[in-house]
Amino acid sequence: MAPTFRTLERQQQAVVPSRTGTQFPKLAKLAAPHIDSFNALFAGTTPAASSGAAALPSGPGLLERAVGDVGSRVVFDGQRDAPLADRNKLELWLSGITVAKPSIDAAKGALSNVMYPAECRERGVSYKAKMQIRLNWRINGGPIQTEARNLGSLPIMVRSSKCNLYGKSPYELVQHHEDAEEFGGYFISNGIERLVRLLIVPRRNHPTAIVRPSFQNRGPTYTKFGVSIRSVRPDQTSQTVTMHYCSDGAVTLRFSYRKNEYMVPVILVLRALCDASDREIFERITMGMYSNTFLTDRVELLLRSFRRYAVFSRKQALSYLGSKFAVMLDSPEDAFEEDVGREFLRKIILVHLNDAKSKFDLIIFMLQKLYSLVAGDCAQDNPDSLQFQETLLAGHLFVGIIKEKLGDYLDAIKTQINTDLRRSASTVNFSDKKYMQRVFARCSGAADIGKKLEYFLATGNLVSNTGLDLQQVSGYTIVGEKLNFYRYISHFRSIHRGSFFAELKTTTVRKLLPESWGFLCPVHTPDGAPCGLLNHLSHKCEIMLDQIDVSHIPQLVASLGAGQISGQGPRVAAAVPDSDRGHSDAMDVDGDDYGDDDNDDDAEHGDQDGVVADAGAELRNRKKVLVSVQLDGRVIGWCRDSVAQRIAQTLRDWKVRQLHRVPATLEIGYVPPTRGGQYPGLFLFSSPARMVRPVRYLATGGTDYVGPFEQVYMNVACMNEDVVPGLTTHQEFDPTDMLSVVANMTPFSDFNQSPRNMYQCQMGKQSMGTPAQNLFHRTDNKLYRLQTGQSPIVRPNAHNDYGLDGYPNGMNAVVCVISYTGYDMEDASIIAKSSYERGYGYGTIYKGEWVDLAEHRRRGEPITHHFGFVAAGETETTLSEKALTRALQFIDLDGLPIVGVRLTQGDPMYAYVDDVTGKVYIKDYKGMEDAYVDQVRLIGSDSGDQELQKIHIRLRIPRPPIIGDKFSSRHGQKGVISQKWPSIDMPFSESGIIPDVIINPHAFPSRMTIGMFVESLAGKAGALHGHSQDATPFRFNENHAAADFFGEELAKAGFNYHGNEPMYSGITGQEFKADIYIGVVYYQRLRHMVSDKYQVRTTGPVHNLTQQPVKGRKRAGGIRFGEMERDSLLAHGVSFLLKDRLMNCSDYSQCHVCRLCGSILSPMQRRLGVAGETLDATVPSGGAAAATTASDPASAGRVVECMTCGTSRGIEVIAIPYVFRYLCTELVAMNIKLRLDIAHRA
Amino acid sequence: MDGAPARQQRIDVTYTCGECGADNQIKPREPIRCKDCGYRIMYKKRTKRMVQFEAR
Repeated sequence: MAPTFRTLERQQQAVVPSRTGTQFPKLAKLAAPHIDSFNALFAGTTPAASSGAAALPSGPGLLERAVGDVGSRVVFDGQRDAPLADRNKLELWLSGITVAKPSIDAAKGALSNVMYPAECRERGVSYKAKMQIRLNWRINGGPIQTEARNLGSLPIMVRSSKCNLYGKSPYELVQHHEDAEEFGGYFISNGIERLVRLLIVPRRNHPTAIVRPSFQNRGPTYTKFGVSIRSVRPDQTSQTVTMHYCSDGAVTLRFSYRKNEYMVPVILVLRALCDASDREIFERITMGMYSNTFLTDRVELLLRSFRRYAVFSRKQALSYLGSKFAVMLDSPEDAFEEDVGREFLRKIILVHLNDAKSKFDLIIFMLQKLYSLVAGDCAQDNPDSLQFQETLLAGHLFVGIIKEKLGDYLDAIKTQINTDLRRSASTVNFSDKKYMQRVFARCSGAADIGKKLEYFLATGNLVSNTGLDLQQVSGYTIVGEKLNFYRYISHFRSIHRGSFFAELKTTTVRKLLPESWGFLCPVHTPDGAPCGLLNHLSHKCEIMLDQIDVSHIPQLVASLGAGQISGQGPRVAAAVPDSDRGHSDAMDVDGDDYGDDDNDDDAEHGDQDGVVADAGAELRNRKKVLVSVQLDGRVIGWCRDSVAQRIAQTLRDWKVRQLHRVPATLEIGYVPPTRGGQYPGLFLFSSPARMVRPVRYLATGGTDYVGPFEQVYMNVACMNEDVVPGLTTHQEFDPTDMLSVVANMTPFSDFNQSPRNMYQCQMGKQSMGTPAQNLFHRTDNKLYRLQTGQSPIVRPNAHNDYGLDGYPNGMNAVVCVISYTGYDMEDASIIAKSSYERGYGYGTIYKGEWVDLAEHRRRGEPITHHFGFVAAGETETTLSEKALTRALQFIDLDGLPIVGVRLTQGDPMYAYVDDVTGKVYIKDYKGMEDAYVDQVRLIGSDSGDQELQKIHIRLRIPRPPIIGDKFSSRHGQKGVISQKWPSIDMPFSESGIIPDVIINPHAFPSRMTIGMFVESLAGKAGALHGHSQDATPFRFNENHAAADFFGEELAKAGFNYHGNEPMYSGITGQEFKADIYIGVVYYQRLRHMVSDKYQVRTTGPVHNLTQQPVKGRKRAGGIRFGEMERDSLLAHGVSFLLKDRLMNCSDYSQCHVCRLCGSILSPMQRRLGVAGETLDATVPSGGAAAATTASDPASAGRVVECMTCGTSRGIEVIAIPYVFRYLCTELVAMNIKLRLDIAHRA
Repeated sequence: MDGAPARQQRIDVTYTCGECGADNQIKPREPIRCKDCGYRIMYKKRTKRMVQFEAR
């Protein structure tokens, strides 16, 4: 059955929205990365385990974890030089952070004090909720004292678990003035919807091999080789550590702390982590590969070169570290060096791990990878590839900021106490509650974290002492513009590479890499400056945010054959007899389900099914390679490669089958050993912020969630014909899974040349459409609306899935491809005048304007300005009768505009009166276009006890399509209207149809947008049969051609199979010699309209300094006649035109010049007779008679004289451009004289 | 337009509550608060005056 328009269903939904759940679950999930990450801040709200993963019941929220990790601050009172034992010790720390739901506390007489997002939008305030924390302190280890402190108001994400709309049904959403399908994911900051942009950051907890020439600038002997790891703590804050290889054999760890860089020898850290001897370290790194002299030599050098530090034991190493980093860490004065050393390891080194052994193991692994990279055995990892990337999410960024600010708060208290101590130590008394209160009160500025977050949201600027391990300071937030629904959705799905890369000259970061297949849309990226940096998530791509339980994974892996590290550590297989390896003993554990690994590894030759396509000895060698098994950056075992491969296969099988509690979103990245390829190993990831996407697991037909790390080494087929038996393990559910939501909306995009699809992604986001359904409750500055939007006849399936029929974005138009009028050159198109009269493309712009009288007074002062005409205490207005009469045509007596009135430029819009002066101010409408007052909104104060001070006026500007407005089909075919053609003159078909739009056939050959032809056919067939058409790409092929499918439908309706029809000229009535291609195409009206762009000027404002016309449409300026335009006039030899443009119509001016000295600056006007001179005395000859410019009567009795020559003999008047005069003065300032050689023409 | 504009005005304009939709007569200098539900946003009603534009 053909797909229908579901008109009745939609009508029903519109009249009675669902009281249970959303109609469009896919749409609701689009903002999930934002919302789930924000929910993760709070306890007990682990996101609904969409993927069926074993979600933890409800761990502590990220905020709670962060608060615990802030640590304590210690202050001592008394004199600085006194012994510590005589001074009192104050410990301060935080605990128990709580966040309420948005409410208005002071709301007087209101039925409810619950705050909903719609009210914030309408009143232009922020959507936020109270945040509190417990501040604890104790003196000298005594009893703990606690006090709750306010942290200001935390901005709340709409539809998050702290939002009052959380879990509300479409019906309730509509009750609260939202769209029925509102999906949230943004914040409201001063009435504006802003969201935190997704950013790409390096993949967490995975050592990445990097070759970067700039590493050499770190210091002498530093080489370009490094291994970098971005370690992420459980509270989602991160610390990056980079291991550098130096040419003298040393290896250092580099990290940055509070924006300063530090380097530590790696052996020092190893020593501090674990009491390992040099021998042990050597064995662990080399793993018995003594034949690899490159490695052994370097490790030996590394160990020997460290001897000069004379640090031999763990204790020594910790003390050494402690002594060096006590200041950096700001550790308590009474802390032991060893403890400081331990704190250093905890806070800086591989913070994702919490025990020393794991850190030790991972540093060893990093060293191995580093040496392997230097030796050229493994390749560098590409940090621009999605394989080594993950996302930075709103919630995680929030934790980072809040955590840092909490630390700053404690620091502020500490500083305050220290300041008091310095001023007068006697006032400081920790046991005096009053003193402590005073200190806390003084630090309340630092406690207002809500304000700082609000600033962050409103500006996108990150004000931070630590930098939060991020590369940029601004551009974190964007406005969620509701230009149309496509654009709105795209904001939530866009992911940026980081503004740092935008400045980079190299284009490598912008490349579309195969690794991003299925995760980032290849089509949907803007062209121009942000191309390739601003990407969009594929519509099936999810961002993993569940806290999944992986505590049992190490045991599973061990049971599958991964050995543990003991004593001297694992060795290459050659060095250890097979019986030593731990894998055969564990085969019986949980071994009931995996029948696929019957080739037990009793012999190497049993594992020939490997991925390494090399032959001979090298293969056998590589099979023996011991690889590391890691889970979230923790080394959980070692095994031979063949075993690792089998573990990976088994785990994957269990994962898809949901056996042994293997989480469905576990990423199983098995990297096989290759010659010079990526460093091998089995890397498991369970952490949040990873991208995952569903693909079909062919073995079971189940869904496997695949990540970008593992995908590279998997065999995922796209179409059925791509499946290679025995090799392919996975297949895409649908080839359209790789496209973003917006790219999915291009009908038959597989028929188009690819750049056209990219253009459509841009234009879809620029079209006038239906920005929202709750238009009445919106206060946007500018809103574009298409009055006559339609549901497209030809639409991909995804259009229905995402509920886009609720937000129509264009009109179905009968389009005729014919060269008919001559007005359709260069992509111009003709529209039929009666189509226009019936409302084709009719649009409206809503402009919002806030008026806040509170801006006229200072905070806290009484109200002095009121809307209206009469001041307080007066009975009459001070306005003149005439002015009042005029004002009252547009303004009511309340001072507000009359709703429905039409305003032209200069008309009064609102009036207010100043009590102090009694003066009435009438403010005019300033816009250039006529507008209608659409809505006047009176805004009360929070508490509802204040008189009117703030209003919002919404103006409606009608924008019917006019010549010059831009339209486009959905295939990157844009053009402007060139004529509204009278319908009687339009060509007509045999059935009497006249087209709405005529386009030129030349639009097609070079652009190859075959999709548009197919759409035209499909649209025509759909319109004739009264059903919608599925336009999902990749549905047709050679054997099942689109043209045939729709041709049949057309033929069935009695039309030409190919879509052509005989047509008649509307002017002569004669039939055209050729049949004309006519069909129905969905057209978008783009927001670029001539009314916003036209610029015309004859005379007007000029620039002060240069006297040239100013630029800019807003200022009634001119259009630049630039160098190239000048060149073209020169080439034409039209010098009078040139002079007219550049001189007469620009900065023509006359000025005096002295013929004798050639200066235009020295001639000065002087009044005659000041020094008893006469005209005759100073003007000897008639030559300078012109100098006393006779045309100017004011200068009569004045004379122009050259100041240098002291005479007016040489004065002449010439015409010059005014800027020339400016140039001369500038040159004079530089002591350069400019001389004009003037002579009378012969 | 009304020829003699009221110089002395004691006219209270009626507004619609943004939450419950109740009509509210709010005099100048009175707080913006719905008398029924206490909501803080009011809409001005469309004018009763004839609005006629040049039809082209």
